[in-house]
Amino acid sequence: MTAIFKEAQEKSEFYCETRDVFQARLDRMLREFLRSGKADETNIYLASAIAGEIGNNSFDHNLGSWPDVSGIFFGYKNENNNIEIVLADRGQGVLKTLKKVKPEIVDDEDALKTAFTERISGRAPEKRGNGLKFVRENVEDRKMHLLFSSGDAQIEINAEMKIGKAETEVGGCLAVLTL
Amino acid sequence: MVIEIKKFGEVLVSRPAGREAFLAMSAYLTKGVSKDEIIEIDFSGVKVLTPSWADEVITKIAEEFKNVKLLNTENATVQATLKTLREYSDLKI
Repeated sequence: MTAIFKEAQEKSEFYCETRDVFQARLDRMLREFLRSGKADETNIYLASAIAGEIGNNSFDHNLGSWPDVSGIFFGYKNENNNIEIVLADRGQGVLKTLKKVKPEIVDDEDALKTAFTERISGRAPEKRGNGLKFVRENVEDRKMHLLFSSGDAQIEINAEMKIGKAETEVGGCLAVLTL
Repeated sequence: MVIEIKKFGEVLVSRPAGREAFLAMSAYLTKGVSKDEIIEIDFSGVKVLTPSWADEVITKIAEEFKNVKLLNTENATVQATLKTLREYSDLKI
């Protein structure tokens, strides 16, 4: 990454270098969405929880291991009652994180399926690994739409879950939640 | 005793924040409290709760005390988080 691009990214209002910055912007997003008074309040609370889980995952699993730029991109908009939330990181990605605790995972598609369906955490032996299951179940229950990409794979969750090759390879993780 | 979760914030999402809340709770609220005492966890006023935060707090309180009751759990994120903890973190309450 060139120094100019790195500087531009770090100055962006969408860039959260630390977890504290992300938490503050998540709080602000919730306030702004509630103040708009348009979207369903229950969906706004759940979307905030989903964004909180995905964003914090980036920090949880890359602490001390960021390949180049630490932190996450976090953007959102609410236009005509259509909410879109985007989170992205330049971290290790799901495959590298999970392969440490489940070496038999063969590729990015396998890693995404495991992350969203199995009780597993890249931070074993700590007992964790429930966040992405929470994300999947609530996206499905509330009929939101989530596109989550990592490596050369993507998982699409709506009323059901589809896993396949991503159009564009993602070095870390990219999540787009719409409702 | 009653633990008012909103005193730790309205948007409760990360594990480090949950861990800090549990440590503060252990030092100032539940220290010396009998393991048999009824502990009421009150979620009124909480807007956003996630399994990450709650796993560091609710799951641990439930492991430590025998009589834990959950109050005012109507918020959708509280409901969804408790469901996830029961399913994936062996929360028994």
